[in-house]
Amino acid sequence: MSKKYIRELFAAKNITIAGSKQHLFDAFVDDEQHQQIARQILENQQRLMDIWQYKNRLADIQQQPVSIPNATVGKPYQATLDFRQLNWSDVTWTAIEGLEEYGLQYDPATGGIQGIPVKSGDIRLKLQFRLAGGDASAAAHEKLLPLVINPDPRSLWKSIPSDMAGPFWKADDVAEFAPLGDRFVTVASKRGRSHANVGSFRDDDYAFRHLEPSGWSVLAVSDGAGSAKLSREGSRLACNGIADYFEQFFKTAPTADIDTLFQEHAAGTGTDTQKKINRLVYDTLGKAAFAVHKKLEEFAAAQQVSIKDLHSTLIFVLLKKYAFGYVIMSFGVGDCPIGLLNKDCSAITLMNRLDVGEFGGGTRFITMPEIFTSDKFPTRFGFKLIPDFAYLMLMTDGIYDPKFVVEANLEKLETWKAFLADLNGNNPENVALPLGAHSPESAGRLSAWMDFWSPGNHDDRTLMIIS
Amino acid sequence: MRRLPVYFLLDTSGSMYGEPIQALNNALSGMVNNLRMDAHALDSLWLSIITFDREVKELVPLTELVSFQLPEITCPQSGPTHTGQGLEYLHGKVMNDVQRGTSTRKGDWRPLLFIFTDGKPSDQLLYREMIPKIKSLNFGAIVGCAAGKAADNDMLKELTDTVVHLDTADSATLRQFFKWVSDTIEQGNKSMGTTSQVALPPPPQEVNLVI
Repeated sequence: MSKKYIRELFAAKNITIAGSKQHLFDAFVDDEQHQQIARQILENQQRLMDIWQYKNRLADIQQQPVSIPNATVGKPYQATLDFRQLNWSDVTWTAIEGLEEYGLQYDPATGGIQGIPVKSGDIRLKLQFRLAGGDASAAAHEKLLPLVINPDPRSLWKSIPSDMAGPFWKADDVAEFAPLGDRFVTVASKRGRSHANVGSFRDDDYAFRHLEPSGWSVLAVSDGAGSAKLSREGSRLACNGIADYFEQFFKTAPTADIDTLFQEHAAGTGTDTQKKINRLVYDTLGKAAFAVHKKLEEFAAAQQVSIKDLHSTLIFVLLKKYAFGYVIMSFGVGDCPIGLLNKDCSAITLMNRLDVGEFGGGTRFITMPEIFTSDKFPTRFGFKLIPDFAYLMLMTDGIYDPKFVVEANLEKLETWKAFLADLNGNNPENVALPLGAHSPESAGRLSAWMDFWSPGNHDDRTLMIIS
Repeated sequence: MRRLPVYFLLDTSGSMYGEPIQALNNALSGMVNNLRMDAHALDSLWLSIITFDREVKELVPLTELVSFQLPEITCPQSGPTHTGQGLEYLHGKVMNDVQRGTSTRKGDWRPLLFIFTDGKPSDQLLYREMIPKIKSLNFGAIVGCAAGKAADNDMLKELTDTVVHLDTADSATLRQFFKWVSDTIEQGNKSMGTTSQVALPPPPQEVNLVI
């Protein structure tokens, strides 16, 4: 090797050896001392190349993008620096400094980073490493690895009380239990975390009233639009407006005629009773809805605000017990469902059609004049004659979104059965109402049940149960 | 769970080279960190970053904030501004990504679009052709941001009523702007009627609303 090097060196330098000196040159090349010099040159060359290669490799590793999945505080985390995939077979030793303060550990044998993060941050982990061929006594190399640790979303929610001196203030949380004719009503309405987080008001509302001597009960639930600045008052006016309207209505209405119509219909006597009932439902409930719309319009004018500022959905029910069973009539605008479960909970009737848009939040409100002129207006009414029922429920989308998710599930008995089980304590928080326990404590328990956690669902929650 | 899809369409043409692109990177990083501290955003926000210069690149496909990692945004030293191509690409993505609600599937919140440019479209014909198509996507809000002297407010005005102008594309201004963007995003997941637009928070001093 070294002999060859000497010969090539001379050739490269264009030194020609005269024929007469060929012997002398051969002896020169064979000389052990000269060969030693050549070997040293070769070794030094090799060393230079090795050092360059090492530095080059080091730079490659330091520049190589390495992405580690984001972690979240409180959530078990597991990620791996896969040396094979990273092409790091020449990395002989690794360590990561400062992971412990975030609640994580690094295992150099497997490249695993794991633990349950305790602190959030957008951090740069200092990965220390050694490369094959490097000086083992020198300081280890370093590479910064970005790691995002998200905060625990639950820890971010604040609960700021709403300003009691603010216009149209209403309580953040309310709950009631009361008899309603021969049944009971349990209802709770609770400000959503999204409002609590910024100290804004609850937009949901409800009202119920049992009216004697007519024997009718009226129930209403409304959800004020989050984007409308006075919708908390809109929803309150809508619910109370309906209750007031029917209180007046049944004072003067021909209740005896109405009773006769339903009795004839149930007994199968009388003529055209279905048609007459349809007419009655349409007239009575339609006029009530329109009266409330008008009332909201007048209120907006008096306050010198746009009626859009009062945007609220509205569902309401008229309920009365007869000897043959219950008559239930309903009206709905918006995305709040009314569900009726029969006596043995073997059938569910969804009393209203929901206004659900293509996109989240797209719905209709009682404050929109166009709903009354739309050809879909007649589809907003519901009527049911039922021998007996277990539960009649009115709820806002704050309950429906997390518990039923999509419209189709509102017509599935199994979803309702799961919902009933949930109310009876089958939930991660083990909070039970329970259903059927008719006691004054039910109000507080329903309110406690409503604190359930559901990612992404932080709207106001209102649930009214007639049982 | 409802997602709030938010698209960033960012100009990375030659004029952004150097300090402006650095400022943009810093401001975006600040914005993402801000959003991570927002309870709502952490639950529902999905982000996508698309850049346009001579080429259109989907730097980050629509990704939930929890898993989102902001890459370094780079730009060539010179070259045209293919805003129209950017919009065309975006249109395809939104059509594909954004879920419309059905009786068996939860719809997303209406998506938001932030378009940031320091110049004007080099492909005006395509740009104008795309405008009605983009508008038909029913965004909750489209915010146009024109940064610097060479940025064309009027072209952005054709796309959206909400155009803001930044006098300079320096770090402080961009940071203010993207802080405002995160406030706007936080408005995005509130219930509203089917057609009304997302109400925008008042912009900071450095951000001039173009009327």
